[in-house]
Amino acid sequence: MSQWLQQVIDRGQATDDWLSPLRAHALEALGNAKWPNRRVESWKYTSLAPLEQLELSPGTTAGEAIIEDIEGLNSLDLVFLNGKLQSDISLLPLPQGLHISSLLDASVKEQNTAKALFAKIKPRRHLFGLVNDALAQDGLIIDIDAGSKIEQPIRIVNISTEGQESHHRVLVRLGSHASATVIEHGQGKQASFSTGFAEYDIGEQAYLEHYRMAMHTHQAIHIGGCHFSLQQKAQLNSTLIAYGSELSRMDVDIIHNGEHAKAKFNAVYLLGESEHFDLHSTIEHVVPNGTTKENARGIVGDKAKAVFNGRIHIHRDAQKTLAELHNRNLLLSRRGQINTKPELEIYADDVLCAHGATVAETEEETLYYLLSRGISRSQALVMLNFGFIQELVDQMPNQHLAQWLKPQLQSRFVEMEVK
Amino acid sequence: MSEQLDQALSRKYDAGFVSDIESETFPAGLDEDVIRRISAMKEEPEWMLEWRLRAYNNWLDMEEPDWAHVHYPKIDFKAISYYSAPKSMADKPQSLDEVDPELLRTYEKLGIPLYEQEMLAGVAVDAVFDSVSVVTTYRAKLEEAGVIFCPISEAVHKYPELVKKYLGSVVPRSDNYFAALNSAVFTDGSFVYIPKGVRCPMELSTYFRINEENTGQFERTLIIAEEGSHVSYLEGCTAPQRDENQLHAAVVELVVMDDAQIKYSTVQNWYPGDENGKGGIYNFVTKRAICHTNAKVSWTQVETGSAITWKYPSCILKGDNSVGEFYSVALTRGRQQADTGTKMIHLGKNTKSTIISKGISAGNSNNTYRGLVSMGSKAEGARNFTQCDSLLIGDRCGAHTFPYIESRNPSAIVEHEATTSKVSDDQMFLCQQRGLDPEKAVSMIVNGFCKEVFKELPMEFAVEAGKLLEISLEGSIG
Amino acid sequence: MLKITNLHASVEQKNILTGLNLDIKPGEVHAIMGPNGAGKSTLGFILSGREGYEVSEGQVEFHGEDLLDMAIEERARKGLFLAFQYPVEIPGVSNMAFMKESVNAIREQRGETPLTATEFLKKAKEACKQVQLSLDFLKRGVNEGFSGGEKKRNEIMQMILLEPSLCILDESDSGLDIDALQVVAEGVNSQRDGKRSFIIITHYQRLLDYIKPDYVHILANGKVVKSGDASLATDVEKEGYAFLGQDNAEETNA
Repeated sequence: MSQWLQQVIDRGQATDDWLSPLRAHALEALGNAKWPNRRVESWKYTSLAPLEQLELSPGTTAGEAIIEDIEGLNSLDLVFLNGKLQSDISLLPLPQGLHISSLLDASVKEQNTAKALFAKIKPRRHLFGLVNDALAQDGLIIDIDAGSKIEQPIRIVNISTEGQESHHRVLVRLGSHASATVIEHGQGKQASFSTGFAEYDIGEQAYLEHYRMAMHTHQAIHIGGCHFSLQQKAQLNSTLIAYGSELSRMDVDIIHNGEHAKAKFNAVYLLGESEHFDLHSTIEHVVPNGTTKENARGIVGDKAKAVFNGRIHIHRDAQKTLAELHNRNLLLSRRGQINTKPELEIYADDVLCAHGATVAETEEETLYYLLSRGISRSQALVMLNFGFIQELVDQMPNQHLAQWLKPQLQSRFVEMEVK
Repeated sequence: MSEQLDQALSRKYDAGFVSDIESETFPAGLDEDVIRRISAMKEEPEWMLEWRLRAYNNWLDMEEPDWAHVHYPKIDFKAISYYSAPKSMADKPQSLDEVDPELLRTYEKLGIPLYEQEMLAGVAVDAVFDSVSVVTTYRAKLEEAGVIFCPISEAVHKYPELVKKYLGSVVPRSDNYFAALNSAVFTDGSFVYIPKGVRCPMELSTYFRINEENTGQFERTLIIAEEGSHVSYLEGCTAPQRDENQLHAAVVELVVMDDAQIKYSTVQNWYPGDENGKGGIYNFVTKRAICHTNAKVSWTQVETGSAITWKYPSCILKGDNSVGEFYSVALTRGRQQADTGTKMIHLGKNTKSTIISKGISAGNSNNTYRGLVSMGSKAEGARNFTQCDSLLIGDRCGAHTFPYIESRNPSAIVEHEATTSKVSDDQMFLCQQRGLDPEKAVSMIVNGFCKEVFKELPMEFAVEAGKLLEISLEGSIG
Repeated sequence: MLKITNLHASVEQKNILTGLNLDIKPGEVHAIMGPNGAGKSTLGFILSGREGYEVSEGQVEFHGEDLLDMAIEERARKGLFLAFQYPVEIPGVSNMAFMKESVNAIREQRGETPLTATEFLKKAKEACKQVQLSLDFLKRGVNEGFSGGEKKRNEIMQMILLEPSLCILDESDSGLDIDALQVVAEGVNSQRDGKRSFIIITHYQRLLDYIKPDYVHILANGKVVKSGDASLATDVEKEGYAFLGQDNAEETNA
């Protein structure tokens, strides 16, 4: 039994609040869990050594979190600092049909919503999902009434500061025919450890526009997940923008539980220095007639290491499924590493399924062309890198967010540039 | 339609018969004594016995791998006998007249013509029957060219320097569980040596046969191609119907020196088990090639048999400009399970690899492609292209793809694509409206699906492969 | 040779044919026209035996035998040929190999000796010439990368090689330019020998300028509502299907 996991179990058992019965399953599972090593398939390319060396201590909130306003976005902001909610929900002007409460202050009704979602969508195999189940004390419950179309984006910001450890949880339910935009924005630079898991239940014919910015860099350690359950004719459009850090890992699950649902998932990951980023995505087609399109693009510079594992699992009865997965990678330096594994597990025959993965470098010809027009090498690389992921950024439905993102990405490229 | 298809797919295994030849078989079980006895039966020198014993000790410390996408009842290694040979071989016949006639009749049934007049044009045959080589023909012709093609047990005596130098150099004893087992108890296989600059004058081939119950088949093949040489090697297998599962753990090592080329083709037709998944061969094989500068290896395989297949022919592209190719058609039906693929390890500059894998699943089977393409940090300008296609026939089977791509060099390009489809109703309707019955239609469509791979096979094999694939009970494609 | 009596059929629980009658004698050319959704293609599919169609009532006799009782390939071997509106691709299977198989399967049924490769190649070359397809097409995969016109001509070529007794052409003129249309028409006309019968399914009258039908039937709402000779087609051309009345002329989304 790993010491690290034992600490988690001890702390989980020590907490006594209305979430305790929900935590019970996680504590049991953790008791039987083994600390992952290279032989465990889902941790094959990602070492947990940085985490083992870290001493756990629950976050103490000090200071204020200052977050950037995104021009034109006009979002409803909910800010967490080291896992504790800073915003006062009662002061927020919530539109009709939108109900938000924090896990700590949930009313009985809200608790019931939470119980229906907590750890029900997120698959149990995610070890750190279980850790989060055990340790998360604060978080959000977002419930959207059937038929409500929430125009204003809901932005959940998570900031981690030096030496802090935090765990938070988001549970979202969209009633049938509802629609909403949720932006999860995580960031942290200094040595910190955070886990953040979000579960989304998208009701019949509901539409969720979703963004996860996992912009943890440098010394930050972040392990998180987004898990979506799609009911009949539901639609999901999700974009992940991820940077690399000491250790960054993201698990995404898209589960088709109702027929004729459509999911689109785009991911961009950018790493430099000695950063590490690992994206494991799983698309489950359980029922027939579902459609999923996944597109992931990564750029890896310097001594960084990217891991991508994209799995499509088509169950026996999921006939007439259309599933596509594409992963393209650019490796900028000899000391960087890319490990990609697109997987197909198919048990139904009347399906159209394809995946592709490529690893290449910036084309010399193209670079030369830019240089010959007087553009500096670093500028040229930024332009080319940007071009590589531009398509996915342009596909983001919220263009205010896209506009805000572009300069962020450009300064990121400068950071990542081959030295 | 699916009912008709199912019937057509359960064609009887036509090589299902048993030779009633007396065999000398060891009792079941494995320990140091058994290994000493095997070595003694073969009159091996001390160094060979040492080599085996070290492998055995490695094996004792290892664990059977369990990550493959296959499920099987645990193998009881103590319940298998590790040596079985037809008695008449003990006297080492000088000519065919001295060979047990029953044995020869077995080969005839299998279509292996030992008699010169019936021989396939220019193909030498090293026929292996239950772990001991029977006759190697056309040695004279090969000797003229300086090509050595003999059973490995003979090579141990006649060419010990070569064996000592290269055995285990591509697949070390401790490489994996089944390779370790094989290294301890291998009984026979082919040894091929092509001298510098020689193009082997004909295609070499080996037929294998498992006969006795509970006898593991542990073949070991070593092919050494010196600088600038060329050879094409064919491996074709067949086995009789049995109730107990039979274990097959083979190792094939290819050493390809500068500017040399080896083409290794396999058509595998082991007994796959009955409709309930009972019986059938367990086929665990480690095949690997090391390529030096400008060398080239082509692995081409058509796999239709075995209850379980676990097999990853691989290339270590060590030398600059070396090339590795893998062309495979794997068909599973009934309750077969296959977890196969390839590993292309790019170490040298400008190395190139091509992978074309076609998987066909039918019945209740599961067909998995597992591949690894690794670009080392020094693999400047390396290139890989992979195309994995799966065809599903019926809705109770599975097709899976797990390609691992690891890249450490920015100038290396990896391209991987996979598609999954089924024989479409529209295609079936078109063929049937043109007068073809459903079995014929499926057979034709499947053949079209595999075309890219079939054209890489040597002629005789391409024909056998097409036949093997034909799902109908009779006839062959024109 | 073909007698359809009171045919009722549905697909995906929708009733498409609601009491269709048709009588075709050897050597006759019958055109079937009608608004979209009337059931024209459905008729072709049902006659050839495609799965997914339920016949609830009625009979079809082909050469005096019960057609509906036969498997798809059996009907083909007895001489029924359907030229598809949207021919499907079969990658990796050469046209040559496919057609030789097909020709020999049908010959075997008739008690004729199968053609050797050389004999077949000779016939194939001639057929290619007739439909103005270059010999290269024989080596390519079945319909692989073919343009619309090439696919239609490929269908006619197959018809020429298989020598069927009843040819059903499902909108063989759709999407064709005037030259391709003439090639198709010539191909069909060259096969009219007084014994072979044709069912020409078409939405427009244009093809019938080149292939003169003996009878024209208007199919609407699942049954034949009007029959006549070739002049009926010209009437339809002038007045459209409105003359059938509001209900019958409605175009449904297929």
